[in-house]
Amino acid sequence: MAPVTPSTDLRGALDWGRLAPLRLRARTVAAGVYAGGHRSRRRGSGVEFGGHRDYVLGDDLRRLDHRAFLRHGRLLVREFETETDRTLRLVVDASRSMAYRSPSAPGAKLAFAALVAAALARIALSSGDPVGLDWVGGERRRPLPALAGREAFERIVSALEVVEPSGDLTVDHQAVSRAIAPIARHASRGSVVVFLSDLVDLPEDAAERIAALATKGRTVIAARVLDPAEAEFPFAGPVRLRASEGSKVIETDASAARSTYLAALEQQGQRWQERLLPRGGALVTTVTTTDPVEVVRAILSAVRGLRP
Amino acid sequence: MTFLVTAALAIALLVVLPVAAHLLRRGRAREREFPPAALVSPAPPVARQRSRIEDRSLLAARCLVLLGLAVLGAMPLVRCSRLSLSREGGASVALAIVLDDSASMRVAMDGGISRWSRATAAARALLRSCREGDAVAIVLAGQPARLALAATTDLSAARAALETVPVTDRPTDLANAVRLARSALAELPHVDQRVLLLSDLAGEDLPAGSPPPWVPLPELARPAADCGVVRADRRGSRVTAEVACSSREAAKERQLEVVTASTPLTGAGAEPAPSGVPLRPRTGTILGAAAVAEQAGTQTVVVDLSSPLAHLDARLTGSDAESHDDEAPVTPERAATAIGVLTDPTSATAVTGGPPILEQALDALETRAIVKPLTLLPDEAATLAGLSALILDDPSGIGPEAREALGSWLDRGGVALALLGSSIGRAALGATLAPFVTESTTWTETTATGIDPTTATFLGPEAGGLAELAPKGRVALAGSVPNGARLLARWDDGAPFLYERDLGRGLVVTAALPASPAQSDFALRPGFLALLAYVMDEAVRRRGERVTVAGNPWTFYGEGAVRVTPPTGAPFDVLPERDRVGGSRAIHVPSERGRYVVARGSEVEARIVTVAAEEITRPPRDPARLSAGLRAGGVMERVDISREAALMVLFFFAAELMIRAATRWRERKRSAAL
Repeated sequence: MAPVTPSTDLRGALDWGRLAPLRLRARTVAAGVYAGGHRSRRRGSGVEFGGHRDYVLGDDLRRLDHRAFLRHGRLLVREFETETDRTLRLVVDASRSMAYRSPSAPGAKLAFAALVAAALARIALSSGDPVGLDWVGGERRRPLPALAGREAFERIVSALEVVEPSGDLTVDHQAVSRAIAPIARHASRGSVVVFLSDLVDLPEDAAERIAALATKGRTVIAARVLDPAEAEFPFAGPVRLRASEGSKVIETDASAARSTYLAALEQQGQRWQERLLPRGGALVTTVTTTDPVEVVRAILSAVRGLRP
Repeated sequence: MTFLVTAALAIALLVVLPVAAHLLRRGRAREREFPPAALVSPAPPVARQRSRIEDRSLLAARCLVLLGLAVLGAMPLVRCSRLSLSREGGASVALAIVLDDSASMRVAMDGGISRWSRATAAARALLRSCREGDAVAIVLAGQPARLALAATTDLSAARAALETVPVTDRPTDLANAVRLARSALAELPHVDQRVLLLSDLAGEDLPAGSPPPWVPLPELARPAADCGVVRADRRGSRVTAEVACSSREAAKERQLEVVTASTPLTGAGAEPAPSGVPLRPRTGTILGAAAVAEQAGTQTVVVDLSSPLAHLDARLTGSDAESHDDEAPVTPERAATAIGVLTDPTSATAVTGGPPILEQALDALETRAIVKPLTLLPDEAATLAGLSALILDDPSGIGPEAREALGSWLDRGGVALALLGSSIGRAALGATLAPFVTESTTWTETTATGIDPTTATFLGPEAGGLAELAPKGRVALAGSVPNGARLLARWDDGAPFLYERDLGRGLVVTAALPASPAQSDFALRPGFLALLAYVMDEAVRRRGERVTVAGNPWTFYGEGAVRVTPPTGAPFDVLPERDRVGGSRAIHVPSERGRYVVARGSEVEARIVTVAAEEITRPPRDPARLSAGLRAGGVMERVDISREAALMVLFFFAAELMIRAATRWRERKRSAAL
């Protein structure tokens, strides 16, 4: 793979644009989300039934399930969700295509994904839920295990700030597998996995592999981050389009190719939806010009809608 | 060519730059990064095609801007060839445009355009370059030279006058046209006066004088190969045609055909239409043909007809630079000028033999007139109708019927000459010499030796030869001169010898001597021929010659309008005017060759107008051989077009900006629609 030259190919390691600084923006986004719906989220998610276990000495007798005792002949205690693991596992795509930023975009796709990830981390940590971070591609990336506490947010933000977009997923077909392997092994029941990516140049089985995380009570949300140019295809006349990853160059008439491109983009999203929905997952599509607050809300709404 | 001009022209080479850029752009569109490029379907042919179409107007505008800049930079060198007036000190100019409208200007030049079209286009260009304060006169050089527009500062009137001037079949009258042009400018206050000559110069020498004429179109004087039928006359079953060729090459492999006419003659000069021969426009039925000799100049071609028809055309086969003169109407036998001669062959014949001396004298005049000997004076006016003139040699008397017929004929314009002699004493009962003499007269001996030449100035220098006639007698006219008669000559003793008087539209001329050499030497003197020529001229003038050259006037004496039907166009009336002596006459100058029909009251006659042979055979004069002084016309052949070139550059530059703005607007609109 040819080395990435920031000055030419990526216009710098990461083009934050108007999205920087990440800490302040993430807090602002998170605050906006709280104002809109954190009350219902905390209440609803903490009193839901989570299952039975055998009674042990010292358990609160009010939680004994009398009907279960009559049915099974042994003492069982009812458990609630607030007592289950709600770890947030963030998987951020930092491949070279995520560095793309069109002239009308506020920042690179990776910058937008980092902002959303930081805001989600802030919200989760505020609720006492641990947050972990994994990467697909990227240079100087620092994967983080699930952390909680005050320092966790700072570590996550630092990791998001220092990463540089790199990696060609058309060549490195195992990048996605490497990123989600820890999650598949360690993420406990009830974990929420948020995959932030442009879904460009991913391996054919990437959707299947991501959707496969939605087992053991885990919730998987794929957040598709697109640049406005990718969402609208605003070109006109004859164009030569070079892919960020791989060596593909397409020469076409933009006006004639627009409709087929948008259809292909829609079809790609549909394919991800078809993979995720049966497994209890969802796809959230967003553009970097969208308000990040709305994006975070959309992701949280998707999580709530998918929770059992 | 200076270095700067060369460098400016070299700018034109830069036109390859936008072309190359365009080709490069066509071949490879601008590359840009687009991560999901794999989702885009490739379509390179459509893209290149669009690029080529959309950029074509922009490319053309840019190339034209560069070429315009090159022309503008090299403007001292690059000029257009439009005629324009040059001015010294910006003063107004008085310009006389001499436009040659003679038949030779119909000749087609290289490229098919005629000399006339080229000349009128040049005149229009000159008028466009005139400005307020300039005076323009237009003189036409077809015979007779005439003023189409008197000098005026109204340029719109000059332009309008120019558009109404047609080319004609007249001969060239270039010298008089130049004189007329100078006189038209003479009264103008303009200091800068010029005479512009738009002609093929196929005429006589130009007169010296000021201002000298300037010939800006030397290409008009380029020789052209042309043959034409000047005139054709039918006598019985034979047509004699006069064919003129400008060169031997023009006459090569050409034939003269006589065909049935598409427009038959009508009127007095016409003969009954033939039956059984269809008249086909333009093509006609070929009744005879003869080869044209390969020689330059005028030649006579005789064609024997297979059928003695009357309405004929003579035409040349092949083609040349002027097709208009390749066909001419054949003059019918009755339309020719005819002279009736009544004489006594026994007494009026020379001792050397041959026809009567009067007929020999008429032949010597070479008038193309047909001499018709008469044995008796006709009693019916219809018999005299075909005659233009009547000459009676030594008549004894005229009977009442013949006198009445003669009077009717004279009223219609006939001219009669009576050479009175000794026979007047043998007049029959009831016969008189009226209308030649009103009183009876006698043949008497005389002591006079001849005519006083000073009284016969109308005969010109030939009158001097009549001073010695050795007459053996004379008719005493002293008491027989009718009232209103004009004495034309007197004997040296003062007695009347010759007088004339008008009778209706006709003319009666009476002489006191016969033509017989036995009586005097009168018929042997040149003055006798001069007298016959005078009578012939009067006959032609009063009755009208049936065959004339274009440009020669027709004069119709008497009251009443004359209706003329030309070969082409609608009929028109010619109104009579008062002449100097109180008479009334209508004058028309035919300018187009072909058949005419002239109607005066109930009289209808056909006339034929021909073209002068010199218009075909006379070569154009080389303008370079004119004197150097003629180049001082002050008209320059070329004009600087810097202003037009600069405007052109600005226009194309604005066009480029508009195209670019329109392209951007379309792209923005497309983006907004998304």
